[in-house]
Amino acid sequence: MLHWLWLIPALPFAGAFVLIVFGPKMAHKAVAIIGPGTIAVSAVISILITYSFITSPPPDHVFVQNLWTWLDVGGFHPHIALYLDALSLLMTLVVTFVSFFIHWYSTEFMLGDEGYSRFFAYMNLFVASMVTLLLGDNLLLLFLGWEGVGLCSYLLIGFWYTDPVNGRAARKAFIVTRVGDTAMTLGLLLLFTHLGTLNIQELMHRAQQQWPVGSTLAVWAGFLLLGGAVGKSAQLPLQTWLPDAMAGPTPTSALIHAATMVTAGVYLIARTHALYSIAPAAQLAVAVVGTATLILAGFAALTQWDIKRVLAYSTVSQIGYMFLALGVGAWSAAIFHFMTHAFFKALLFLGAGIVINACHHEHNIFKMGGLWKELPVAFWTFLIAGCSLAGLPLITAGFYSKGLIIWETRAAEHGNQTLWILAVIGVLLTSLYTFRLIFVAFFGEAKTHVEHKPGYSLKVPCIVLAALSIVGGFVETPRFLGDIHVFTDFLHNALPAVVEGHATGMSELGSELWVTLAFVIGLVVSYYLYMVKPSLVEALTAPAISKALHRFWFSDWGMDWLYDHLFVRPVVWLARIDRNDIVDSFYDGLAFISQVFYRGLRTTETGRVRWYAAGIVLGSIIFVAIVLFA
Amino acid sequence: MAVWPIGLYFILVVLLILGMLIGSHLLGQRHSEKATGQPYEGGILSEGSAQVRLSAKFYLVAMFFVVFDLEAVFVFAWAVAGKEVGWAGYWEILVFIGILIATLIYLWRLGALDWGSPGRPRRRV
Amino acid sequence: MNVTDLFTLLPLLILGGAAIVVMIVVAIHRSHILTLTLTLIGLALAFASLWWIAPEAPRQVTSLLVIDRYAIFYTGLVIAATFAVALLCYGYFERHPGNPEELYILLLLAALGSAVLVASSHFISFFLGLEILSVSLYAMNAYIRAWSLPLEAGIKYLILAASSAAFLLFGMALVYAELGTMDFAKIRELVTASPDLNRAVLLAGTALIITGFGFKLALVPFHLWTPDIYEGAPAPVTAFVATVSKGAMFALLLRYFYWSGTHHFGAVFLVFTIIAIASMIAGNILAMLQTNVKRILAYSSIAHMGYVLVAFQAGGQLAVQAVTFYLVAYFITIIGAFGVITMISDGDRDADSIEDYRGLFWRRPALAAVFTAMLLSLAGIPVTAGFVGKFYVISAGASSAIWLLVFVLIVTSVFGLYYYLRILVALYSGLAHEEAHAASGAAMVSSSSLAPALSISGGVVLAVLTILLVWVGVYPATLLNIIHSTVGLL
Repeated sequence: MLHWLWLIPALPFAGAFVLIVFGPKMAHKAVAIIGPGTIAVSAVISILITYSFITSPPPDHVFVQNLWTWLDVGGFHPHIALYLDALSLLMTLVVTFVSFFIHWYSTEFMLGDEGYSRFFAYMNLFVASMVTLLLGDNLLLLFLGWEGVGLCSYLLIGFWYTDPVNGRAARKAFIVTRVGDTAMTLGLLLLFTHLGTLNIQELMHRAQQQWPVGSTLAVWAGFLLLGGAVGKSAQLPLQTWLPDAMAGPTPTSALIHAATMVTAGVYLIARTHALYSIAPAAQLAVAVVGTATLILAGFAALTQWDIKRVLAYSTVSQIGYMFLALGVGAWSAAIFHFMTHAFFKALLFLGAGIVINACHHEHNIFKMGGLWKELPVAFWTFLIAGCSLAGLPLITAGFYSKGLIIWETRAAEHGNQTLWILAVIGVLLTSLYTFRLIFVAFFGEAKTHVEHKPGYSLKVPCIVLAALSIVGGFVETPRFLGDIHVFTDFLHNALPAVVEGHATGMSELGSELWVTLAFVIGLVVSYYLYMVKPSLVEALTAPAISKALHRFWFSDWGMDWLYDHLFVRPVVWLARIDRNDIVDSFYDGLAFISQVFYRGLRTTETGRVRWYAAGIVLGSIIFVAIVLFA
Repeated sequence: MAVWPIGLYFILVVLLILGMLIGSHLLGQRHSEKATGQPYEGGILSEGSAQVRLSAKFYLVAMFFVVFDLEAVFVFAWAVAGKEVGWAGYWEILVFIGILIATLIYLWRLGALDWGSPGRPRRRV
Repeated sequence: MNVTDLFTLLPLLILGGAAIVVMIVVAIHRSHILTLTLTLIGLALAFASLWWIAPEAPRQVTSLLVIDRYAIFYTGLVIAATFAVALLCYGYFERHPGNPEELYILLLLAALGSAVLVASSHFISFFLGLEILSVSLYAMNAYIRAWSLPLEAGIKYLILAASSAAFLLFGMALVYAELGTMDFAKIRELVTASPDLNRAVLLAGTALIITGFGFKLALVPFHLWTPDIYEGAPAPVTAFVATVSKGAMFALLLRYFYWSGTHHFGAVFLVFTIIAIASMIAGNILAMLQTNVKRILAYSSIAHMGYVLVAFQAGGQLAVQAVTFYLVAYFITIIGAFGVITMISDGDRDADSIEDYRGLFWRRPALAAVFTAMLLSLAGIPVTAGFVGKFYVISAGASSAIWLLVFVLIVTSVFGLYYYLRILVALYSGLAHEEAHAASGAAMVSSSSLAPALSISGGVVLAVLTILLVWVGVYPATLLNIIHSTVGLL
């Protein structure tokens, strides 16, 4: 069964290939079968593989499928090999599974779009790249997958390319993540040149052997990889691309910018956890970045009026939690939150898609309202997902995963109280903006007439994901609530257990109670502000100071403005004054020299046979002279 | 081995040629009459262009000669040593002649043997 | 010469027999498709016979030919390439007035000559193979008699090939005069055994033999004919000249210089170094500003032969494998590239101007995609066969520490990228308004625009070649294993 592993990336690749080559001439039905069908088979295979992995685990709980050796020259022999352990298996399972539902959803959502087959081709390619990234055994494959998802993200954000705004958003995403990618490439090269292997496991092994804890090289490598992770996962300071990425079709946002691709950074750090364990400074940076991001993005989400942008900032914020967990060494907690987040965030976007479609492509939540009667399925599933996001205690998956992270922040060896306090404040913010969104969009008076009622293909994925948003949490519960450890035990062989340090003055129950309290405060405040006394909101935002603050948060703490003035304008200015720059003249010179050489050599091509024959004679004479006198 | 004699020889050769060219240039007489530029063909005035179109048949004959008369040389060589080379040689020359016959059939069907009757060309063009 | 000897020559006999059968059939009944079918059957039989004779290898058949695994591999390569070219020829010559049938006879004979070359271990068979190949090529180059360019190409090739063959013969004569043998292996024995040889004669002979090789392989300074012949010859014939004739010659180059041990002479090594550097530089620079696609490919082939020489210079086991791998990749790529040219040429002229390719993507996306793949492979971009080939050549060079050659290779490859990209840009650039109109509408009014009917056989060849190209680029292990177990034993 494990030997079918290669099919998981191969099938979506094949689907993408077929759709690219034959797609434009295919019927919509055929496209809708090939696109989601290949993903469905991949998902089924990953379920089967999971089953076999659990029932009859391979030796050391690791399965390496060596497909072939690409090149084998002088010590450089990159294998094309897949590496399956609990971590990559779990992520693959979630990615293929969630992707399948989103694909299914898209078959109806994208109906009537002229780029129907193109859309599914990109989506399939995306899933294939993501799975390659997850299962890659060496840096080469990891890099291939990493760049592949970057490319697909670019293509999908700019999917409706006729609108220049979308093209701009796509380019922004590409360029901003490229900053991180450059850092990551440097990090990978650093690891390769110093440790001399491409194999990730071998690399980690050698790093732990050769580098002492806290060595400069390890810290550098850790920071450089963090740079890549920060770019892909939209963390501070490279988070600015994600909200703009909402320009793509909504299923794209669900798939790429919520459920899967943006967690590539989380995966990268989890995969290289051994490196971070010998680079404490880099690991602390991961925690700090995560915490800062979750707070800043929470505030930014509070002020948005575009439903997709609210969700985008909430994604940034939730990934912040995952980074926080990674930073304090709670590896499996981060992956747990990744899983639950994939379920409920995908669902939120799918629900948002239904809402937007129903309201004539209206994105502004203040122009919606009263939708709960019109779109019951969308409402209920959205509500469940929202509760999961905000962390409704006891029932929802989000509560368990987030609660675990917050508790570990306090309890783990690398955790501390400041981070814990900020994480709890994050819960308050999450609860606040989530219910603000739900109350404004679904309650109150109806401001838009609902037109498009969703069909089965839109509803069923939502219902399934809603179920998962609840059930998904019961695999790992706190000590005082059943003490289930299925999830951590499963990951135990791939990721080290959290080292519990100084849980002074706080028990797990206490931490969870604080989280619950923060959730309740957020819920009550937003209920009061948006349901009971909406006038209070206006009163609150009326003064100049709060208006300025609102604007500041709305623009994501002025990050775009800052980058525009800090980087874009100076570069543009430099480019302008340096139009005929000195460096260029070097290359111009090269071009000129080659032109001169070309002109010179061209004169030898006279077209005359006697001259050609003379060339042969001359050449022979010269070479005879050389061999005789040299 | 000393290289200088070769060098000296080379220089002498160049000098000799230069001397001949320069000497004839200086000593020779020059004229430019009416017929100076014309080719000398035994005193008879040349007529027409040198680039005459010759009938392709001429080349055909030449090629037939190359193909068949020269191949006969090989057959002759075999015939001389016919006893020594035995059956192996016999089969070899048989194959050789067979190929020649195949070629002949080809040429014949192509119309290369149709002499001077342009009225009914065999070749399909 | 006994029955087993004759049996091991089966591929050559089949090729020769096929040529005669095709000739007789042409004489009896002219039919293009029948001729093609017979040719393909002959080639397929010859290819299949390689497996039958493989157990007999290595076997010295008289002192002229040696049928070893190396020869079998290259014979297979020659036959496969000829097969592809024959299929391309069908679509191409179907569009032309005149009799296409004789071309296939010539094609079979040229393949026979090449097969003799790769199996020869003696000057006599070397020269025989060379002449069988060359004489067939003269006629093939000039096959379209209605056009002046092919005639010009044929005549030029005839004169120059004949004169270079004279140099080659004289070189062989010098070597023979000094050593008294024309057998490659015996040359090695004599060269290593007797130190009191007159090196001058031997070296001068070797230099003149290099002239002979240099001409066929289009290496600087014997390269001047290349662009004219490439441009003038019909596109599928050019594909043959560029691949089979050069590949067979290179196989022989390896065998001769490695077997005879003359490659170890410092002076010979120096000459090859100069030739390689000059070829890489001149080939790439000459191609840069060309506007004729066939000429660009001609110049680029000069450069590519320079690249292969780098691996040749490295010497040893790795070099043989690198050269072979590169040649296989080169065969696939060049036949593919000329296949595209063949496909979009019509009965009036060949599609050789870069303008013919402007916006090809919008008219024939599949062809443009194939051409793109081929050009990327020529430029050595990853995931294509060309990349892996170049990688092997560079690592062969690096392993022998011939840094100057490796450096020139890398730098000139960058130059190469420029002119390949020029074609690529043309492929994908938008059509001018009227042209777009004409393409979407019915009539192509402009006399210069080409309107070929695409042939199925050509399409199949291109599809297979493209798949091979990517296959070898992504999964080179299969080919490497074959190469390792065959030519590794040279």
